[in-house]
Order: sequence, then structure tokens, then C-alpha cells
Amino acid sequence: MAETRARLPFSLPEVDYERYSNRQLVAVPLAVLGLALAVITAFYMLSGSPVGLGIAFTGGTELQVLTSDSPAEIRSTFPAEISSIQPISSQADTYIVTFQSTNTGALEQQARGAGYVIESVQGRSASFGAGSQTQALTGIGVAFLGMSLLVFLLFRSFVPSVAVVASAFSDIVIPVALMNLFGIKLSLGTVAALLMLIGYSVDSDLLLNNHVLRRRGGFYESTYKAMRTGVTMTLTSITAMSVMTLTAFLLGIPLLPSIGVVLVFGLIADLMNTYMLNVTLLRYYKFEAIGR
Amino acid sequence: MNLRDNWRLVLLTLLLVLSSVALFVPLGSTATAETGLVDTSTTLDFGLELSGGTRIRAPVVGMHVENVEGLPTESADRRTLQTGLASTLNVSLPDVRIDPASGVVEVYAEADDGDVTAAAFAGALREDGYQVTAGDVQQGVTDETLEQMERTLDDKINRGGLAGGDASIARPAGGSEPFMLVEVPNANRAEVLDLIGSRGQVQLVAQFPTQTNGSTVYQEIPLFDQSGIQSVRSAEQGRGESPPYVPIQLQPDATRTFTEVMNQNGFTGEGVQSCRYGRNPDDSGYCLYTVRDDEVVFAASMSRGLAGIIRNGEFQGDFQITASNYSEAQRLQLDLQAGALPSNLDIGDGTSLFLEPSLAQEFKLFSLLTGIVAVLAVSVTVFLRYREPGVAAPMVLTAAAEVFVLLGFAAAIGLALDLSHIAGFIAVIGTGVDDLIIIADEILQEGEVRTGRVFESRFRKAFWVIGAAAVTTIIALSPLAVLSLGDLQGFAIVTIVGVVIGVLVTRPAYGNILRNIVLE
Repeated sequence: MAETRARLPFSLPEVDYERYSNRQLVAVPLAVLGLALAVITAFYMLSGSPVGLGIAFTGGTELQVLTSDSPAEIRSTFPAEISSIQPISSQADTYIVTFQSTNTGALEQQARGAGYVIESVQGRSASFGAGSQTQALTGIGVAFLGMSLLVFLLFRSFVPSVAVVASAFSDIVIPVALMNLFGIKLSLGTVAALLMLIGYSVDSDLLLNNHVLRRRGGFYESTYKAMRTGVTMTLTSITAMSVMTLTAFLLGIPLLPSIGVVLVFGLIADLMNTYMLNVTLLRYYKFEAIGR
Repeated sequence: MNLRDNWRLVLLTLLLVLSSVALFVPLGSTATAETGLVDTSTTLDFGLELSGGTRIRAPVVGMHVENVEGLPTESADRRTLQTGLASTLNVSLPDVRIDPASGVVEVYAEADDGDVTAAAFAGALREDGYQVTAGDVQQGVTDETLEQMERTLDDKINRGGLAGGDASIARPAGGSEPFMLVEVPNANRAEVLDLIGSRGQVQLVAQFPTQTNGSTVYQEIPLFDQSGIQSVRSAEQGRGESPPYVPIQLQPDATRTFTEVMNQNGFTGEGVQSCRYGRNPDDSGYCLYTVRDDEVVFAASMSRGLAGIIRNGEFQGDFQITASNYSEAQRLQLDLQAGALPSNLDIGDGTSLFLEPSLAQEFKLFSLLTGIVAVLAVSVTVFLRYREPGVAAPMVLTAAAEVFVLLGFAAAIGLALDLSHIAGFIAVIGTGVDDLIIIADEILQEGEVRTGRVFESRFRKAFWVIGAAAVTTIIALSPLAVLSLGDLQGFAIVTIVGVVIGVLVTRPAYGNILRNIVLE
């Protein structure tokens, strides 16, 4: 008995791929990818970099201070230009103040002079930041290339491998575009998250390809089986990461929220890419490319 | 229970026991155990982000040329070359290092720090007849200098009362300039910079008037620096009106030079007790300057007693380096004992981080809380999906066991946990649960598992996907493990190790648990 419909977990509505043509299915993820690329291009034209860079990459100073001053008063305390003042929700009167200035010592003195309690100081020189930028880009590039090679080695056929690599590409591009829209800057944490996405997002694609290509059974039956497992996986990860992001943000822990939010973006994109883009390319491969 | 069928569970149990030992049994007292950095309930080490303190990364000021042929091996010739280069480049003598054995010439200055460009450095060497072009000049100092920086910084930090601090050399992948990494728990940025921000070169310089063509000209002669000192004792308060001082013992060479200079230039005659630097710095008479990093810290007179001893040729090298107050004397003692840094740290070209220890303590508690909340979220989702405690509960327990083993691993190798590692733990839980769901779905699919053979075949099928996904994650994160993006290295290493332990031990063990459930 072949299943012709997906019985999805968590009482999600049923999906019936047979009702849609390849063109229809692929249109959505491609449109979203196009939109994401457009956002990134626009951002690049406006700012000269594909994504907003945090002080880890541009250099600058970040102070976490305890003070009864209002954000406006904090602004007037420092002669240097302030890029952002972010209150910490778990602690009253605590702010993270970010500067482009790399003169960390002077800013620290000004804060002390105004009677602020300095809870943390982070300074990074511009040249150090530029070095990190090259390294991060190289890292992402090498990771993506390595992943692509591995996928081609695993499946040894063109279309299924391209399906995985294309989904993974989109899984990274969409979060980057969303970072631009939400004003999240590229930090060391978000770079880690983007790299993690390469590993994470490929899970469900590998599962799908494995079921369809390496198992007995019809295309739809295999797809729906893979979906039951894959959707559970991705939704569990999304839940875990959302909860982690929210908790870490509320508690004012650095690094973790930025990692979590990018992973959530990417995992949501992955749901769409795996089950609309990858699946369709596989169907094309199974029914049309091989038959020819 | 058959041990052979349950070997995966046995392996997991073994790892859990080993981890408990690593986590809770203190194996002797390590260096860090004395500094109070270690949480007493476990043997885990915590890094700066979870214990508070200051971290500074900075390159070392300098540039060097390797493989210069024909450098003088005679010490007198080498001295001439060194003096010549120093004066051409307008830097002080200790800023030039020549090592004929390895063909290295090094200068501790840069374009924006000492105003020496690569072209100027190469030009100065060419003037002295060495074939060197600006392209041969490498930015940054040599490994020898880096190692000396590391030793001296360590010494300064630990003698300076900033216990538990540590300096190390970090070499970024891809051949960019290495930098020094200094971590000091429980000290703020200003304290640390005060200690290591300057080189701490201490010199004793004699200045005295000479008569040339009827007019008075002052002459300066450096007497000795750190290298001329044999031993240093604790700084002492001055008695009565005499200033605080650091008692030292000079090397025989320095003792001879000192005696000669003093006797030949009048310090032991008309120069006794005649330094008037305080009243008239332009016409100060016979003075012995204590100079720290090219700044005069104190100007002393030759005492009557010492002058007599030197005159009689009985000076054995016992000397007192004077300072204007006691804390300065203590600082001099530290600089004398630790020695001078060969070059400056280029703080302006690095990064610095300070975290209030109380805030770091909070991060520690809060990140534990975040981890627990994330695990709870996973449990709820998994229960909702399987509605079967027998499947879901072991899943959550297995994920927790994975983190426990990973913590044990961290304790065993003495990894200092930071926020990036915590992020790694959470990533491991994430990939772990994904894998456990794949195993569960594969084994619990329709068609009962009647025999161990069916189980093994399904398990192998699940393992293909898990293995492939694990290799992808490892490939994706390995650049981070090698690149020196600082904080992210820990994240990558923890995630990679976690995935390896997970795929090889804990996740198969979960399959084993399911096997026992379905086969019964």
C-alpha cells in the first residue's frame, strides 16, 4: 500500500504534490531566493557590503554600563559618535553602547568620569576587524565548497546533488537578506550560525534524497516518509532555537541570541527549500530526466 | 540483557562513568585550582566570558628580514652595525636585534609606531652593504621575539599581583601576522594595560658636566640596564630622608663599567652629593638617573659612602636603584625582575575585552538556564510528535547524556569554557535530536521489528543519513576550528567533538534502547 498523501506530524495539513506542476512548486522558493538576492544587492549598493558588519569586522568599541542616565543623556556623555544604545531587559539601567571609535581607553575614561559603572568593555581595532572579515568570508566559502563536494560524492548524480546544494545556498542567502531587513549585523555569532546552517539544513535534504534515490518504493511514498521525519526534525530544531534565542535575549547573554535568530531564519527557509525546491528537482529527475 | 546485543549501551555507560570521573574527581591540584577560578563543585574550568576579567589580543610592534647573508659574527662588528642601523632609523639601540646565526635582522618599530617603514629599513641595510629590498621585509617580529614576549609577559602578569593571568602566542591561519593573547581573570582593562602596555625598560644613566672650550657641556653615559643585573631583592622604604629603593646585585661586567665611568668622570670626586636635578634640571650637576621607558623616574646623587668604596676599588656590585616613592620602587622591582619586553604590544591594532566578574557569574548561571530551557522545548516537541514516553523520554535523556559526556571531555582536557562553547553545546543538542528522530522513525516504521537482524538493517539505513549529515557538519565547521576568529574556535571544536561522540556513541546507543523496547 503506497501512501499517496503525506501524513505530517503535529497535525499539520496534508500535502498533495501531485496537484502541483514542477513549475508551480519551484516558483515559490525561486521567487523568495530572487527577492533575498535583490535585498542583498540593494544593501550592497547602499552600504558597500552585502550585510551590515558589526564591530567584530569593522573595529569599534562596545561598553556595557550601569547608569541611571537615559539613552539621550548617555549620548551626550560621549563626544564620539554612538552607533547604538541597547538596553538589557534582564537588568534595570544597564545598556550596551556601541561606538565606531576604536579609542577604547578614552571612551572608558569618559564613562568612568560620568559615574557609569563599567560592566564590560570590548574594543577591536579596524585592521583586526578587516582581517576577521577576510577570514570569515574564506571560512564560509570553504565550508560551502566542502559541503558541495561531499554531496556530489555521496549521490554521484548531477540533478539530486544540485538540488541539495541549491537548497543549502538559499538557506544561507535568505537569512542574510533577513538580517539586512531586521538590522541584525554580522557578528562572530552570526557567522557561526551561517556555517552551522550549512550543516543543519543539509540534514533534511540528505534524508529526502536518501529516501527517494536509495530506497525501494514509489517517489511519493518515499517523499512522504522522508517528510514525516524531516519536518519533525526541522520543527524541533526551530522550537529549540526560538526558545533559546528568546531566553538568552531576555537574560541578556551575548552571542547566543544572534546565533539562534539566524538559525531560526535559516531553518524556516530550509522547510520551504527542502519541500518545494529540492523535492521538485528530485521529481523532475525521477520522472523526466531519467526517462529521457 | 545480552551484552553482545547491547554493546552500544555498554559503550555509552562507560563514557558516562568516565565523564563523571573527569567532572567530579579532582586529579591533583592544578595551577588554576589555586587561583580560585575553579568552580569547587566540578573540575570544570571557565574562561573569561564566564568568570570575568580582561583579555587583550595585540600584535607585536616590529618587522624583520630573514636570510641576510654575511652578518658580522664578531660581537664588536655586530655592535657597530647595530649602532649604525639604530641611528639611521632613529630608534634606540635595543630596538635593533641582529642574529647572525639565523641571518635575522629585526627592528622593533613600524610606520605608525616609531616611524620606520619597510622601505626605510631595507634602505638602511643596503647602506651597510646588505642586499635587502623592501619586499624582503616581513611585518611582525620573529618567533624568538614572540617567545620572549610570552615569557616576559607571563612573568610581569604573575609578579604584578594579577594571579592566574596568562600570555600566549596566537597564530592565525593563512600566514597573517601572529599576535599575543593575554588573559587575566579578575583584573580590569586599565590595570592590565598599565602592567603590560609599556615595555618596562629600566636603565641607569650617568649625566655629568664636562668642560669643552671653556663652556660646560653635559654628557650622558648609560651604565647598565636589566641585562647587567644579576639579582634583584624586594623594594624597600627609604630611611629618614633617603628615597625608597630596590637593592640589586650587578653582573661583574656591569660592575667594572660602573666603577670606570664613576672614577673617570668625577662622580667619586667633585661629583659626590651634587645632583641638583630637582632645583635645576638644565644644569643638574653629577646625577645618576633611573630611566624607565626613556623617562627619568628619579635623579640620585652619588653618596659619600659608595663613592669611597668605588674610589678604593672595593665596589662589588651591590647597588640601590632609587625611586621617588614606594609604589614606583615596587614597579621598578617588577620591571627589573621580569625584564623588559623586547618590543611594544600594538594595543591600538588589537582587541580588548573586559567583563565584570559578577556579570560573568550571571552569564554562567543564565546560560545553564538557557540550555535547560532549550532541552525542555525539545522534550515537549518530541512528546507531542511521538505521544509515547518510551520513545521520547530516552531521546531527551540521550541528548542530555551527550552534553554530559561533552562536559566530561571539556573537564578532561582542561578546556576553559566560554560562551562560544555553550553555543556549541546547544548546537550539539540540536543536531543530536535530529539524528535521534531519524533513528526513531526508521526503526519504528510500519512492519514490526521481529528479529535483531531487521533491527540491524534498519539501524544501518538510518546511520547512512546520520553519518552523511555529521560529516557535512564537520566539514562546514572545520574552517572555524582552524581560522583564528577567536571566540568561534571554541564553538567549532565543541560542535565537531560533540558530533563525533554523538554519531559514534550516544546516538547509536539510543537505537539500542529502542531495540530493547521494540523487541520485547
